Amino acid sequence: MAGQLTASLPAAGAAAPARAAEGQSVPWLLLAPATLALVVMFVLPIGYVLLLSITDPALSIAHYKRIFSVPLYTRVLFNTFTTSLTVTVACLLLGYPVAYVMTRRSDWVSTVLLMCVAVCFWTGFIVRTYAWLVILGNKGPVIGIHQALGLGPPPRLLFTTFSSTLGMVHILLPYMILALYSVMKKIDPNLLRAAASLGARPNASFREVFLPLSLPGVVNGGILVFTICLGFFITPILLGTPKDMMISQLINQQIEELLAWGFASAVAVVLLVATSVVLAVYNRFFGLDRLWG
Amino acid sequence: MTHSVRHTRRSIIRAAGGLGATLVAAPCVWSSRARAQEQTLFVNTWGGSWTAAEETAYFKPFTEKTGIKIRTVAPVSFAKLKAQVQSKTYEWDVSNAGIVEYSQAVVEGLLEPVDKSIVDPAKFPPGNVTEFGVAGVSLGTCLVYRKDKFPNGGPQSWADFWDVKKFPGARSLYNRSFTNLAFALLADGVPADKLYPMDIERAFKKLDQIKPHIKVWWTQGNQSQQLIGDGEVDMIAMWNARAQEMIDRGAPMQIVWNGAENYGGYWYAPKGTPRAKLAFQFLEFVSHPKPQADFVNILPYGPPHPKAFEFISKETAKKMPTNPDNLRVSHVPDAKWLAPRLPEIRERFSQWLAT
Repeated sequence: MAGQLTASLPAAGAAAPARAAEGQSVPWLLLAPATLALVVMFVLPIGYVLLLSITDPALSIAHYKRIFSVPLYTRVLFNTFTTSLTVTVACLLLGYPVAYVMTRRSDWVSTVLLMCVAVCFWTGFIVRTYAWLVILGNKGPVIGIHQALGLGPPPRLLFTTFSSTLGMVHILLPYMILALYSVMKKIDPNLLRAAASLGARPNASFREVFLPLSLPGVVNGGILVFTICLGFFITPILLGTPKDMMISQLINQQIEELLAWGFASAVAVVLLVATSVVLAVYNRFFGLDRLWG
Repeated sequence: MTHSVRHTRRSIIRAAGGLGATLVAAPCVWSSRARAQEQTLFVNTWGGSWTAAEETAYFKPFTEKTGIKIRTVAPVSFAKLKAQVQSKTYEWDVSNAGIVEYSQAVVEGLLEPVDKSIVDPAKFPPGNVTEFGVAGVSLGTCLVYRKDKFPNGGPQSWADFWDVKKFPGARSLYNRSFTNLAFALLADGVPADKLYPMDIERAFKKLDQIKPHIKVWWTQGNQSQQLIGDGEVDMIAMWNARAQEMIDRGAPMQIVWNGAENYGGYWYAPKGTPRAKLAFQFLEFVSHPKPQADFVNILPYGPPHPKAFEFISKETAKKMPTNPDNLRVSHVPDAKWLAPRLPEIRERFSQWLAT
């Protein structure tokens, strides 16, 4: 989206060269509402959370000491990141082929796939989570088929780390597919034809041409899914075990049950810092600027 | 917090900033709307069948009697109480809380003292009108089992629930720390009147025994219904009216009152609300036996006023946690003891669950 915007700017500038000089301040003016919104809705609240974490109920760093001395918090934080990573990788592996087919086919297959992804995307996540309770449940089709085939005692599907991960992958997959699709769609098909005309086999042209060009979509989708996943907790609560607890569940508990906003803020700050570190490492090796294509 | 997801790249930012946004944005709402309608009272409620029952039993008759309109805000949010009092901006003027939350709120100074000139304690049974609230209905958290799984009689106590040899099957418990600690102590043979002060070490030791057999620790009422209704588990600790609703629809389930937790609640007004007078008029109204009876005749929770039973059939009364027969075998959490210890207990319980 941002790529399209910047791409169209020079064209607009070329159409009105006379106003180029006085237009120096225009971009800044245009940015003002967004900057203001960002400061009011993002910078200030984050600052407030930071402040709360060391001042509520009294000025101290006791909350942070508690987070790192009680094993619960670091353990759940670690689990939150590993779960998010697993979900992201699974979404990528499942989503890439779908997005690829959606891009490469221009007939009804592409339309049907896009419709399926969109319907999935628009269905509430609670509904989709409860759907898994039915599908994997005692009276559900999976257990039913298993029993009909006489394969012995039914496997434990529901209320496991597997079902929790599955539910999250299902909910986040459309994000991944749409992120990939938006980038893949922009890849010029002529490049692949050119590769073929120069003697590249389909495998090679995919590996050498399509895959590298689609990487911004991978980066984009990966970060999108990973960061949304970090904040998940309803799906793991409904489908998983207590061991699959996510950090936002603990934050929610502190806010809603215990009114301990200072401590909740401290946990949120630790989550924010940890996320920033992960993104910084990611940036170091892959470059976040790929996000914009 | 951020489980409700949006569709742009901004969700990256929002995921990180969600907490901040919640904290800051929550208080700055609605005050002007409410001020324009002095004779309207905003009541915080659970939504769904709970609010529907309140509509019939409390809101409509109250409006008829006083002319004060009622608008509802759902769902009940304990955190919003704090947000409202801190920001002095009120989205609602009346809410209810369990006895433990009520005690927490009193400690934190979040409640408006009851105006005794509007709610006269002498007119009501002792204990029903307290300094910061009036008693509301209580919820029984009971052992419930599937009759089709135990045709020769199921577990009759928490000791039976813990006895996985005699009563094999999948189990589920409510993910609320102190409730389970009390059940564990009862299972370990502690008499109901000796539960407090709680021997927490002993309770966790007993909980260790049952942990591998608990398939799900449920957090939401409809989740508990799904678990026992679909036969995912064979026995469960759940709210009595939730179980009753299913039994009335023909589910093969049995409620065991022995060992039940009778968890009372209070109606209250947030400290500093400009419509406190209206709020206390409402609190006075719901303290009378008739509206309480009307409510529990729809949802069989426990009316706090004993005279409410004069308007309830014997058959229906049997389903209620404050029915004397049920009350005798139940226990009440000691809110005063629990409230200051809750952060520690909750943390330990969560950690115990996660390992």
